[in-house]
Amino acid sequence: MNKLKYLALLVLGLGILFPFTYLVLLSFSGEWFFPEVLPGYFGLKNWKEILNSESGMGLSFISSLGISLLVATLGTGTGFIWSKSIAYHSQKETWLVLAYFPYMLSPVVLAACLNFFFLKSGLSGTWQGVVLGQYLVAFPYSVIFFQAFWNHRTRQFEQLVLTLGGSSRQAFVQVILPLAKGMILVCFFQTFLISWFEYGLTALVGVGKVQTLTVKVFLYIKEANFYYGAIACCFLVWPPVLLLYLNKRFVYNRLV
Amino acid sequence: MKSKSAFGLLFFFLLGLLPFAAALVYALLYSLGIVGILSEGVSLTHWQQVIQSGELLGSFLYSALLAGTGVSLSVILALLISMGLRTSLQHRFWSLLMYFPLAIPGMVASFLSIQLLSKAGFFSRISMKLGWIDRLQEFPDWINDSYGIGIILTFVLIVSPFFVILFSNVYQNERIAELSTLAYSLGARGNQVFWQVTLPILFSKTKRIMILYFIFLLGSYEIPLVLGQESPQMLSVLIIRELKQFDLKLIPEGYVVAVAYTVVIAIAALLVFRRKEVQVHE
Repeated sequence: MNKLKYLALLVLGLGILFPFTYLVLLSFSGEWFFPEVLPGYFGLKNWKEILNSESGMGLSFISSLGISLLVATLGTGTGFIWSKSIAYHSQKETWLVLAYFPYMLSPVVLAACLNFFFLKSGLSGTWQGVVLGQYLVAFPYSVIFFQAFWNHRTRQFEQLVLTLGGSSRQAFVQVILPLAKGMILVCFFQTFLISWFEYGLTALVGVGKVQTLTVKVFLYIKEANFYYGAIACCFLVWPPVLLLYLNKRFVYNRLV
Repeated sequence: MKSKSAFGLLFFFLLGLLPFAAALVYALLYSLGIVGILSEGVSLTHWQQVIQSGELLGSFLYSALLAGTGVSLSVILALLISMGLRTSLQHRFWSLLMYFPLAIPGMVASFLSIQLLSKAGFFSRISMKLGWIDRLQEFPDWINDSYGIGIILTFVLIVSPFFVILFSNVYQNERIAELSTLAYSLGARGNQVFWQVTLPILFSKTKRIMILYFIFLLGSYEIPLVLGQESPQMLSVLIIRELKQFDLKLIPEGYVVAVAYTVVIAIAALLVFRRKEVQVHE
């Protein structure tokens, strides 16, 4: 390998790690005035302040985590079960194209047009409303995602169990679920990220009462409180990095 | 078995399609003045006003331009990285590292762009330290600028890593290396192999995902919200701004833009995922 490639690799590696390092650096910084390249203070002050004060960062983290886990569980679970009905339907292509409509639409626009219904049902400003709103995006994604699983081979496995005297329940629990384990894990991870990264819909349906981490970051940007913003960003970015590391083997390889 | 299937379709219809249909119908009725606090019966006034003002068309073109530029630059950068460093990226460490940027959401990417690209940002400080600029004002406008440079750069930051992984996977799955060797053995040159073997295969396998990303960026919200300017605005930002304004008489105009955008997305879905395409990609 020539020097140019080494240099390109070095630039690429630094480019990838830089945002993560910068966020951590900023979260520990203070008195970082223009035009200084390095901060005047570096220490635990911001982290201590944010964890001891009533900033609600811990609550935001728990809210984000709870909402995302719920959306991922509901989205993946129902998507897996009901995607079968579409996969084996004679009008499968039509159903699938319809499934792409809500998935391709901007979530915030969908939420804005549905806001009237959220207000009327009393779901506006509640975590249940945010979960429902995000679920409306995650569910079609999940249905589309599992179409690749419900193929001829899976159907033959299912029929084989029934032929050998097994029940539908046994076929589902002892054959289909183990077969789909990998894809379920990937879908759970993807829908978790859809929810974890979501801002517009959450802000609109949650009307500021449901403060997930993305909402918090936006608030800190508006307040120009970049040190606290960096801490919120660290909370947002590092858990998915950990999940990516754990799930790398499964993610995206099946997309193509 | 049949009743289970029917129940599944009903569930999908209720939670997958009905909300979309309800949103579209409600927005359409509001835009026509049929529903809403200040509705005065069926009227096309709001549609006429939006069309005459030119803001809808301007926003569509602006969004399409930024989304198209974002996807194009991301694809070019991803091609350079994935093809130029192909053998290295197959190494365990690098293949893992390439996944890291996928953990950066739009809001964090916007935050980083402000921190790095603004006039008082990190790159501006470095430029001053290196003597490239003498004053803060000399650093170019990349945030909240009229050309959307900050938005485009942020799009590239979040989209290109995905395409690097995608191209690397397609390269392996489609056995492009073997096909290239075959082309070389038949007398093809390096350039010919790239333009006539590698690129056509990569594009044909990923074009649908490229279009999907274009559509996602077209409706992107948080990045243009944080990094964009007052006018023109990208579609989602414009729609939310119109719907949240204090003048209730103007809210239907927001729904006009929302309906137009939703219809465009629906048509795009029909065109991209029409029957033939779906069957080919199964």
